[in-house]
Amino acid sequence: MTSQSAPKKPLSGIRVLELGPYVALPLTGRILASLGAEVIKVETNKVLDEMNFIPAWSRGGGQPEFQRAKKRITIDVRTPDGLEVFKELVKVSDVFMTNFRRNILDRWGIDFPELRRLRPDIILMWQTGLGGIGPYYTYKSYGILVQHMGGVSLMSGEEGEPPATINTSYSDYHTGVFQPVAIMGALLRRKLTGQPATMESSIFKSGALTAGPAILDYQSNGRMPQRIGNRDPFAAPHGVYQCQGDDRWCAIAVQTEEQWSAFCRVIGSPDWCQEDTFSSLDSRLANQERLDELVGQWTADQTAEAVMTLLQDAGVPASVVSQGQDLHDSAHLKAREFYRPTPFYLADRSKPAYEWDGGEGIASAVPPKLSVSPMEFGSYSNIGEDNDYVFKELLGMSDADVTKFTENQSLY
Amino acid sequence: MPFQAPAEGVLLPPYRVLDLTGPEGVFCGKLLADYGADVIKVEPPAGDTTRQRAPFVGDQPGPERSAYFLFYNTNKRSVTLDLETPRGRELFKKLATSADVIVESFPVGHMKSLGLDFDTLKADNPGLVMASVTPFGQTGPWKDYKSSDLISLAASGFMQITGDPDGPPLRQGNEQSHFPGSQYAAAAIMGALFYRDMQDGAGQYIDVSMQEAMITYYTDAHPALAWMQRGENVTRVGTNSTLVIPLGAYPCEDGWISAGIITPREWENLSQWMYEVTGNEEILNDDYKGGNQDRAPYNDIITALVMDFTTRFTSEELFHQGQERNLVFIPVNTVSDLLADPQLEASNFWFDLDHAEAGTLKYPLGVFDSEDVSPVTKAAPHLGQDNGDIYGGELGLSETELSSLRAQGVI
Repeated sequence: MTSQSAPKKPLSGIRVLELGPYVALPLTGRILASLGAEVIKVETNKVLDEMNFIPAWSRGGGQPEFQRAKKRITIDVRTPDGLEVFKELVKVSDVFMTNFRRNILDRWGIDFPELRRLRPDIILMWQTGLGGIGPYYTYKSYGILVQHMGGVSLMSGEEGEPPATINTSYSDYHTGVFQPVAIMGALLRRKLTGQPATMESSIFKSGALTAGPAILDYQSNGRMPQRIGNRDPFAAPHGVYQCQGDDRWCAIAVQTEEQWSAFCRVIGSPDWCQEDTFSSLDSRLANQERLDELVGQWTADQTAEAVMTLLQDAGVPASVVSQGQDLHDSAHLKAREFYRPTPFYLADRSKPAYEWDGGEGIASAVPPKLSVSPMEFGSYSNIGEDNDYVFKELLGMSDADVTKFTENQSLY
Repeated sequence: MPFQAPAEGVLLPPYRVLDLTGPEGVFCGKLLADYGADVIKVEPPAGDTTRQRAPFVGDQPGPERSAYFLFYNTNKRSVTLDLETPRGRELFKKLATSADVIVESFPVGHMKSLGLDFDTLKADNPGLVMASVTPFGQTGPWKDYKSSDLISLAASGFMQITGDPDGPPLRQGNEQSHFPGSQYAAAAIMGALFYRDMQDGAGQYIDVSMQEAMITYYTDAHPALAWMQRGENVTRVGTNSTLVIPLGAYPCEDGWISAGIITPREWENLSQWMYEVTGNEEILNDDYKGGNQDRAPYNDIITALVMDFTTRFTSEELFHQGQERNLVFIPVNTVSDLLADPQLEASNFWFDLDHAEAGTLKYPLGVFDSEDVSPVTKAAPHLGQDNGDIYGGELGLSETELSSLRAQGVI
């Protein structure tokens, strides 16, 4: 257990061993680390996480979002010496989590029953793209495509148009935030019952879950979800309206009669607001095309910020469709200290991570604000930066062994 | 409540959670309830407004038949309580002393105006964990801004990257805003309970902003960082990504197929397969080789070549044959495909839940498959079905007191 002097955090004394790249699994690790777990992230310079090379920002700039507050070490588990050191780590961990498929783990000699023999009370979280068991268990997948497989893209987009794609792997994040709930639950259960648990999750299942009420509607009424653009069966006007500037839009959602009256007042109570065709939700829904045109005429020569402020001041739901600059400069997000400065390391395939140059970027805080034991932003290590601590201090390996295994590229 | 072991085969201890949420936080209680917490939905005497929300089972309106309510309230219990009355608030305080967790999503300050804010409630229950899930959080200049699913998608910037570059920003059809804030709230609640019960810590208050939660659900696009480092605003890319090329949805013989080529080796495999099928040597061009960002300058020509290839196959052919070549082609499914999917079936994703009015339907409950723990399998509660058990049995109110509360419309 932890020393008496350090202030306790929610997961003080819990050690988590993380093996796997991309988004969902590392996000789970970051959340657990923010809550005070010691998360040991196993990577290798020989096969770098492709997330280091996402081009929307400087290479490696996004990695603090996923890897901060962790202990980052390098082990090539495909080498005999690396695998042995990995198994020593299993023995001192409360949780092992990975997102590799069974055929890959088999090839490397990582076998769940054996891990449980090495550490009988370990919690195992096994996450894959499509599922660790079942007919697709060997199938490879990427999170960004699961918006299609999980049923969401076919219900997103304009009527009669192709499915709208979201330029992100958002289903990954669902999985990434589900898993800490299950892991903490399993740790509590282990404490109370003495029983560990093995759990399997997939991006596919997380995505499919969010198809939500449409699944029940189809079963009971045979109805398929339709693409209806930005419209809503319970609100009008409801959509995004173009404003002054390049690709500038304001979203407006008028959900109640009170909001409709306030909306009409804000736009100067034009005559059309009084027409019977717009006097009730049903009539506004029935005449949406004309309504959208009239609202769009009002927004067209204003800034999106002005439209939002005027409407929100009158109690009407509205928001700028935020671009990167809006988020970066947002006074609201600044007041909440959402984005924070962080170092990062400029990823370069031609050399090992310890030779990478440093840079300064930003990372978001883990969103929940806990009043007594806050989510820690924590420090940011480079790949392999915590090798000495983990191999020598934690596992008690000799300097000579660590040097030898580093030189033979087992711990590399 | 004492720190109690979960029932056999259940994940979570039976923590008592009072769920006062609307759509902003309703999934938080569901997630905790599905895995074993004792979640009590506290509804106004007329019922939660989402009970009136279409579509209804069998297209017959009724407070026990809303697909929305049925989906988001599985495994919860229900009591009715009018928090607008002094006796209702008094009863809520009593209920709160028996709770481990309260989760609410009222406008900022509403609970305080009722005298039911965290500082007041913790006086009688120092171990209480209370979480608020609101559109913009409890502090900051936008804290009182009104919101909705659409507004959350706009404010977080999710819409900015959804849809066609020549069209407007688009909404996701699954009410995406229901998930991120609620999921983070559930994770934070578990952390706070862990702190209380494993580290001898105090109870605490949790502030979750849906906007912040949603921003972190597309960190791989990270628009604020892209703006800071490149001065560019990340935008919509239609059905094809610019993060990775080729990646997106492509037409095939029987609809759509999605594909993602991320590693240099995958490109080798795909380009070789495309050449075998189409005979077009262009795809073997050395300029196109390498990691995903190396193909960025050739997005248009590569996309055209990929479409010439995908339209020669069905979705199933590409899905399965792709995997044989270590390539990721993924079907574009609708809800009927999900219900028929062999993988979801094999991994215990679906559970049949019986409901007296809605009948037996398959619900997606198994986000975790395990031989050790399973989801709980109770359908959503009928309005106020647990008033007797909870107010009478557990809080010890007499039948006379209950009748009086009913007569006054408090419950």
